[in-house]
Amino acid sequence: MTLEGWVPEVGQYLTLAEVVEFAFDYRGNTTLVKADGTEVVGYIFNRNTYGPEPFLEYFDESGEGPFTLRYSEVANIKFSGKDTAAGNSWRAWLERKEREKAEKGAATGSVRDPDPHRG
Amino acid sequence: MGVPMSQMWTVATYVLRQKLAGRKRYPLVLMLEPLFRCNLACAGCGKIQYPAQILRKNLSVEKCLAAVEECGAPMVSIPGGEPLMYPDIDRLVAELVKRKKYVYLCTNAILLKEKLDLFTPSTYLSFSVHMDGLRDEHDEAVCRDGVYDQAVPAIKEAVARGFRVTTNSTLFDGASPLRMREFFDEMMSLGVEGMMISPGYSYSKAPDQEHFLLQSRTHELFARMLSKPKKRWRFNQSPLFLRFLMGKHDFECTPWGNPTYNMFGWQRPCYLLQEGYTKTFRELMDTTPWENYGKKSGNEKCRDCMVHCGYEATAVDYTFSSMKGFVETVGVTLTGKL
Repeated sequence: MTLEGWVPEVGQYLTLAEVVEFAFDYRGNTTLVKADGTEVVGYIFNRNTYGPEPFLEYFDESGEGPFTLRYSEVANIKFSGKDTAAGNSWRAWLERKEREKAEKGAATGSVRDPDPHRG
Repeated sequence: MGVPMSQMWTVATYVLRQKLAGRKRYPLVLMLEPLFRCNLACAGCGKIQYPAQILRKNLSVEKCLAAVEECGAPMVSIPGGEPLMYPDIDRLVAELVKRKKYVYLCTNAILLKEKLDLFTPSTYLSFSVHMDGLRDEHDEAVCRDGVYDQAVPAIKEAVARGFRVTTNSTLFDGASPLRMREFFDEMMSLGVEGMMISPGYSYSKAPDQEHFLLQSRTHELFARMLSKPKKRWRFNQSPLFLRFLMGKHDFECTPWGNPTYNMFGWQRPCYLLQEGYTKTFRELMDTTPWENYGKKSGNEKCRDCMVHCGYEATAVDYTFSSMKGFVETVGVTLTGKL
């Protein structure tokens, strides 16, 4: 399950604060749509809702920062960047290992190479 | 025990000073993450999944040192990422040693051999090599063949050149107690000073979400693995923490025991959970709702966690909080019976 590509509709059923929480948890770049209509791409690494004026913090696409934006300055957040926690490289590794085991099994005549070390 | 007397003495006097000062919460080990880049992508790791511009960034040595001063912990663990990929690792370590901090440089050892010349052996510096088991298990855990065979000669070389070397092993569901006992034999025969072991944590961002240990399985695994420990095995950690893993102690988490600092700031609340960042260490200690974490809190994210960064500080604090704890620690240390 990944939010990659999601463009939330901020409104009655989804508040900006909720979208910020999703973005804070997202391990990819997002596009911050500002209230003035301009956009900036960056990685949101923190948010603070405790003070009188909630704000978020991010590093931009070139790694500059940290920059701070008040929630009141943000209109929406698009989940535009690749989700780096989607686990694709690990899945590829698993698939390769399974393939190797199957090939080894076929070569030795066994159905599947059992792993005797695992309890 | 695998911890030198001088280090034990430093930690003991530090903890006693905190107690005499009436400090309820104090840090024991600073987890300093100068970068998130790594040359591996292990299945159980949730630390390195960031966009490219974040992975390219490094904390400056000056910021690292300022965090060390601010925190005041006697020990500094440098995880990451892979710290040997940090361009100023030699200067950072030299500065920490100069400040008499006990440094654990956590590495997968892929770069260790070629970088050894950057360092000088010291009581204050230990290479803590990530080894999750014997060859098959380790290479599977780090998702790359051949890493075990790179790490072993690097360990031997570091030991031969007079460096302190320890190993750190994270265990997941399915680990074999018998194979781990063989692994302990193997590591000790390499000449390491001691070993550190811990169950893994279920990072929400880790690629493998299926093999983290539940509490009951942790007790079972560690009790079988550490029963009748061999005399030659040395562990570079609190013996009471090991007893906790075996189900012989019921400790509560000390999330502030191993505070974490990285390019985002001071991580709230602990090394494993990322619920926000503060600008200063004081702010972290004063404003984190600590009552929301640990088993007693009912926090689901803490339910099955028995990781060293939350519980080793508890074990150390227990040692110095009562005569009972002190006597137990001394007894286990002297007899080697867990």
